[in-house]
Amino acid sequence: MKEPEPIVFVIDDEAMIREGIQSLIRSIGLRVETFASAAEFMLAKPPNAPSCLILDVRMPGLSGLDLQRKLTDAHIHVPIIFLTGHGDIPMTVRAMKEGAQEFLTKPVRSQDLLDAVQKALARDRGLRKERAELTEIRARFDSLTPRENEVLKLVVAGLLNKQIADELGASELTIKTHRAHVMEKTQAESLAHLVRMAERLKNSLQK
Amino acid sequence: MQTSRAAPSKLPSLSRYGIAITLVAVALFLSLALRVPFGNPFWFFFPVAVIAGTWFGGRGPGWVAVGLSTVAVLYYFIPPLHSFAVKPADVPFFLTFVACEAVANWLISWQRETEDSLRRSRDELEARVAERTVELQTANEALLNRIEEQRRTEEVLQRTRSELARVARITTIGELTASIAHEVNQPLAAVVANADACVAWLALQSPDLAEARAAAERTIQGATRASEVIARIRSMINKAAPERVQVQLNEIVEETVALADRQASRANVSVITELATDLPAVLGDRIQIQQVVLNLIMNGIEAMTGVNSRVRQLLIRSQTQDGDQVRVSIEDTGIGVSAEVMPRLFEPFFTTRSQGIGMGLPISRSIVEAHGGRLWAESAENKGSVFQFTLPSTGAPGK
Repeated sequence: MKEPEPIVFVIDDEAMIREGIQSLIRSIGLRVETFASAAEFMLAKPPNAPSCLILDVRMPGLSGLDLQRKLTDAHIHVPIIFLTGHGDIPMTVRAMKEGAQEFLTKPVRSQDLLDAVQKALARDRGLRKERAELTEIRARFDSLTPRENEVLKLVVAGLLNKQIADELGASELTIKTHRAHVMEKTQAESLAHLVRMAERLKNSLQK
Repeated sequence: MQTSRAAPSKLPSLSRYGIAITLVAVALFLSLALRVPFGNPFWFFFPVAVIAGTWFGGRGPGWVAVGLSTVAVLYYFIPPLHSFAVKPADVPFFLTFVACEAVANWLISWQRETEDSLRRSRDELEARVAERTVELQTANEALLNRIEEQRRTEEVLQRTRSELARVARITTIGELTASIAHEVNQPLAAVVANADACVAWLALQSPDLAEARAAAERTIQGATRASEVIARIRSMINKAAPERVQVQLNEIVEETVALADRQASRANVSVITELATDLPAVLGDRIQIQQVVLNLIMNGIEAMTGVNSRVRQLLIRSQTQDGDQVRVSIEDTGIGVSAEVMPRLFEPFFTTRSQGIGMGLPISRSIVEAHGGRLWAESAENKGSVFQFTLPSTGAPGK
């Protein structure tokens, strides 16, 4: 599967800065989309590609920090690089707590910005991969029958076939069959692999 | 009782009657004694006794004296002697005597009573005046207290107001600085971003000249914007030209010292002023000059907060200099300024304090220089500093 082309979003109310940053990032061969305000960005369709946001903290209307909060609330986890003219400590702390990728002061050094963009895209790629894998695992686990699910839980809990048979009031042979189905449907290569997948699924649900 | 109230003295009534009776007895004795050498009728001592009796005893005892002397005269002196009978020929004479005595008694008692009632009125009046005086005194004290209270309230209000003004001024400077910084920083950020982009397009293996050119053009735009912002700020400052009115520096110093009074006492600093009495007025902006003085005073106080080995004293002097200048010097006994720091003292944003923004001295100097004067500092480390400024005088007499 070929990865879709990554996109960098630039949101700054200052047209000249917007264009400058856009030009700079395009020069290293990345796709850039610009927005003059946070509200304008919110109207745009979320991309199905690795992406990151370059966001001015101080903007009229919805501020950069407000937008960050809104995205978090909407479960849109895209790495954000903040640009600020005067970054004070409380503001930086708040942004970092909400998961900002980077906090750069204007005028920003081009290398710092490009590095930050690369790091942010790499992170988003990782996140996307993780999300895709999870989706895949979830689909496999969802295909299990209720009985197979029960067997899965006990297998993962470390019980032997005989113990599971006792627990569920079935013959050991039946359990063996269910277990084989589980391994097949979840495409688990080993018991350890099955346990790892089950753990990942559990962790993702807890989040 | 009218008679007793008419009594001239505070004597008890028994004594007053005693006096009247004694007086009549004395008159009788004298009349009898003197009858032998002088013959009849030497009984005119009786009217004297009646007059004296009335005088000292009042109306009642007076009447007793009249009665007794009438009886005595009738018995001892009107023939036939030693009898109460009167010959018809002597009746008019006797009645005249009695009438004279009665009139004397009446006149004297009337006079005494009048005098007495006058005295009573006077006493009453005096009592009332005293009462009223006390009331007035109380009211006066209350009024004085209220005036004092109001004065104190006004003082607090004044201090709060000037504190507010000071904070507002500092805040304004801070906000202005932040806003100017942002205004200038935005186009500069654009300049940097576009110049970077331009370089990046040129650095490609096959340079994209169109992109590089567009970025370079935006760089020029940004730089132009930055210089426009600066020009706008400059014209704004020029427009807000300070007013020029006659200003008495001594007044400003005194007001400012009052403003800084609280900070001074909190920092345990005694502020001493030696102001020339005949200081001519200067032409300038009152608020701005006050800002300079306040700034120098606050700096002085600040410089002494860490000093414990010597007296913390701020000495403020004003004097005429070279005939056409007025000089104010503010001398502290603070930590002083080191030789390394001295050359940077008036640089914008240079500060040795954690809370300072480093704009006080540069702003003060620019104010003084805009007024045609000079502001400079001399300092000995660990001894203190003297900040002085001169302003051209108008020659107009000061107060």
